[in-house]
Amino acid sequence: MNKNLLKVENLTMKFGGLTAIDDLSFSANNNEITSIIGPNGAGKTTVFNCLTGFYKPTAGEMLLNRNDEIVALKKFTDYKIAQKAKVARTFQNIRLFPAMSVLENLLVAQHNELMVASGYSIFGILNLKRYRDKEKGAIEKAKYWLDIIGLTNRADDNAGDLPYGDQRKLEIVRAMCIEPRLLCLDEPAAGLNPKESSELNKLLEFIKNDKKTGILLIEHDMSVVMGISDHVVVLNYGKKIFQGSPTETRNSKAVIEAYLGVDE
Amino acid sequence: MQTSSDIKKIIKDSLFTGLISLALFGPIVGLKTSSKGEGLFVTPHIGIVVLLVAACITGRFLIGLNSLRKKEINFIAKITSSISRYMDNKGKHVAITGVMFAIVFPFLPFTDRYVLDVSIMILTYIMLGWGLNIVVGLAGLLDLGYVAFYAVGAYSYALIATTFGWSFWVCLPLAGLFAGFFGILLGFPVLRLRGDYLAIVTLGFGEIIRIILINWYEVTNGPDGITGIPRPSFFGLEFKKFPDEGVDSFHTFFNLEYSTMHRIIFLYYLILVLALITNYFTLRIRKLPVGRAWEALREDEIACKSLGVNPTNTKLTAFAIGATFGGFAGAFFATRQAFVSPESFTFIESAIIVAIVVLGGMGSQTGVVLAAIFLIGITEIFRDLEQYRMIAFGGAMVLIMIFKPKGILANRKPTVTLKDHIK
Amino acid sequence: MEYFIQQLINGITLGSIYGLIAIGYTMVYGIIGMINFAHGDIFMIGAFIALIAFILFGLTGIALPIILFLVLLISMLFTACYGWSVEKLAYKPLRGSFRLAPLISALGMSIVLQNYVQVAQGARVKPLQPLITGGLEFFKDSEFVVTVSYLQIFIVFLTIILMSMFTGLITKTDLGRAQRACEQDRTMTSLLGINVDRTISITFILGSSLASVAGMMFVLYYGVIDFYIGFLAGVKAFTAAVLGGIGSLPGAMLGGLLIGLIETMWSGYISIEYKDVAAFSVLIITLIFFPTGFLGKPDIEKV
Repeated sequence: MNKNLLKVENLTMKFGGLTAIDDLSFSANNNEITSIIGPNGAGKTTVFNCLTGFYKPTAGEMLLNRNDEIVALKKFTDYKIAQKAKVARTFQNIRLFPAMSVLENLLVAQHNELMVASGYSIFGILNLKRYRDKEKGAIEKAKYWLDIIGLTNRADDNAGDLPYGDQRKLEIVRAMCIEPRLLCLDEPAAGLNPKESSELNKLLEFIKNDKKTGILLIEHDMSVVMGISDHVVVLNYGKKIFQGSPTETRNSKAVIEAYLGVDE
Repeated sequence: MQTSSDIKKIIKDSLFTGLISLALFGPIVGLKTSSKGEGLFVTPHIGIVVLLVAACITGRFLIGLNSLRKKEINFIAKITSSISRYMDNKGKHVAITGVMFAIVFPFLPFTDRYVLDVSIMILTYIMLGWGLNIVVGLAGLLDLGYVAFYAVGAYSYALIATTFGWSFWVCLPLAGLFAGFFGILLGFPVLRLRGDYLAIVTLGFGEIIRIILINWYEVTNGPDGITGIPRPSFFGLEFKKFPDEGVDSFHTFFNLEYSTMHRIIFLYYLILVLALITNYFTLRIRKLPVGRAWEALREDEIACKSLGVNPTNTKLTAFAIGATFGGFAGAFFATRQAFVSPESFTFIESAIIVAIVVLGGMGSQTGVVLAAIFLIGITEIFRDLEQYRMIAFGGAMVLIMIFKPKGILANRKPTVTLKDHIK
Repeated sequence: MEYFIQQLINGITLGSIYGLIAIGYTMVYGIIGMINFAHGDIFMIGAFIALIAFILFGLTGIALPIILFLVLLISMLFTACYGWSVEKLAYKPLRGSFRLAPLISALGMSIVLQNYVQVAQGARVKPLQPLITGGLEFFKDSEFVVTVSYLQIFIVFLTIILMSMFTGLITKTDLGRAQRACEQDRTMTSLLGINVDRTISITFILGSSLASVAGMMFVLYYGVIDFYIGFLAGVKAFTAAVLGGIGSLPGAMLGGLLIGLIETMWSGYISIEYKDVAAFSVLIITLIFFPTGFLGKPDIEKV
């Protein structure tokens, strides 16, 4: 099977007079964690928003390899990205459903299969067995993920009541519940202490290895980036300034200059 | 600890309040305009202004003193919190008791014609509240024009029943479907609007419907309304003293003295059943994916989109289902009154129903019941005091929002729990 | 053609009244993000106070221009008290609450104000003898004589003066700057030492004052008021504010003129019964194609 999962070609995003992303090209592979790093304002979240259908790019292509079928992500807008293209994402500011329980959050992620199974609610209203079974399956899947992140005993608590680190983990496994090909995580380590960061690393490695999902990661936390990335893409002012392995990135002059500046 | 400067500040505040209240009540209350021939003249009403100003000053003073205490006494919050707690524990029992009470209600000793009429009105509002709860409470869509669907249901029932003469059980579903169709028609273009804009557009739509009803003489008979809507029958038995040709009468069939109460009691049970069907439907659909999607949309639409939930279809479903139940309620209204006119479908009705949903606690079914009983009860208690009752009604809305913005019963229970699943 | 010009003049006059009310809506929405449902009833109260003042002053022998000036001030003063009180009582406690709470509170306040006036002043309509009469006539030889009444000139003129003063206030003074700052980021503004509560209160006072001027104009122009005029005028004025782009002051006036013209043209050429439908329909159609109004800033949601 082709190793390549995502190919971004000449992506450009302009907001009026401001060019947020300028002719960006990079690729990400299956079963790999690719990190996108760069100083603040480099355009990292904008890339995500383009990939996940929240912005329509001014130019360029984003090609996803979905079971050897190439799909142009540009065609899909907002909810269809997750539903049809199977690209999932998390957000910089955690977006859970705070007044709903942890379990319910994970069930909403399985909405589309459950809708079909419920016969668009008709079977559901009649409480037919085929729906009940599907719902049981969905709950089992949710439980599976909750066990992995250790939140099973809080399944019925409101998501908004969880501590910050647990909310982050929940958001990630919720995204996994749609069984994505590509998982885009926007600064998942933000606000986590070292212990939580290493737990996050373990979770991401599990997803990469066991679930065969490609992960795209925006991060500032270098322990996470260097610790688990297979590949690093560095952006600055909307342009790619470097691409390579974590070690290469750490030693690259261009990258150091971008982050630390040049001696006058 | 009360210091003299604290007291001085409270006195200053109270006097300032007095000044403002003088400005408020002075012109409007104190200088009443009345007609004399062609023009108006002004009569001073100093006494009442003095009373009102004094009341404001005293009230402000007492509130000021209250705030100095170690712990403020928030009466309303206290009452609603204890209700909330009780409902959390005994929710199901309360609901079942409530339904049983409602079933035997018409036969209780104190239930006379007036009480029954009021109960029918309260039940109608409860049903409307449950219908709107789907739209506003569950899906979080700000609909300020719900009365439009009520009106469409009522008028379509009236027109179908008077034109074709079909029975209640045929016309009712048709009226509901018609209203639901309208819901889809309206919802389609406007549901992607942001919250407040959606509010004003739905309000506009409600008004458009009312204006059309008043002016489209050919179909709706304008301000005169549609009369002669056939009354419901008990499976063919009419509730008339002197029944039509070939039809049996209810009281003769069951060997009873003729009484108008029979029809009223039948109407009562009719609306009770309709309301309970609405409730059951809502409780069931909350547990289904579409119901969960409604609540998720209310919480965070962007997160929903990122999970593949189609926001437009989901919202449209809520809107259409809410509209359908509004239509059913309208059909009931038409057959109960035997007459419909545009006067019954003003914006105030939409406002009342929204108030019931929000006051009850968004999404809470029992909350809607409590809020409906409370709000309609207030207007009935004050019935003798004419317009004062509407002032009390509006005032109640403001006060409850200030002291308990989330509504009386804002605690939400998850629709599905892992605990139950494992069992 | 002459008929069209007449409708144009009428429309601009009506539009000025709507525009003044619309400014109050747009300012409040801009600064605290809520639709002040009671604002239309503030306009109604302004009309009533103006009416009462006109009656009382009419008993004295004071000259008409002075009466107009005094009534203007008095109406603005007392109506501002109402606007201020409503904010303090019904909205301030709900700042920061969830979105629907201030809306319900505003609805409740609107019901209270309407019925309060109904109880205090009686439910009957209140007429006022025309105070400003006469006007200029044009196209006297043609079939349709176009009349521009002195009252219409007065209304438009007063509106222009108020708009200029207002725009100057918002753009050039500290208060205006504080207001614009509050619109953008309330927390930061207060951290910079600006009294946010006071800025919000002043916003309400200004909006209510303008609404009261509209009320006075309404009394003079239509000659009859009742406690219900606030609702319809309020909804149309809010429609105007949305059309022009909520949060934009020139937009509010533009929207007001537009609604006034649409309503007048519709009544003049199509039908008078459905004129209110025209305004609402325009709103719905506009929002479908311009979700943020004509002059509104497009909403790019930060994800």
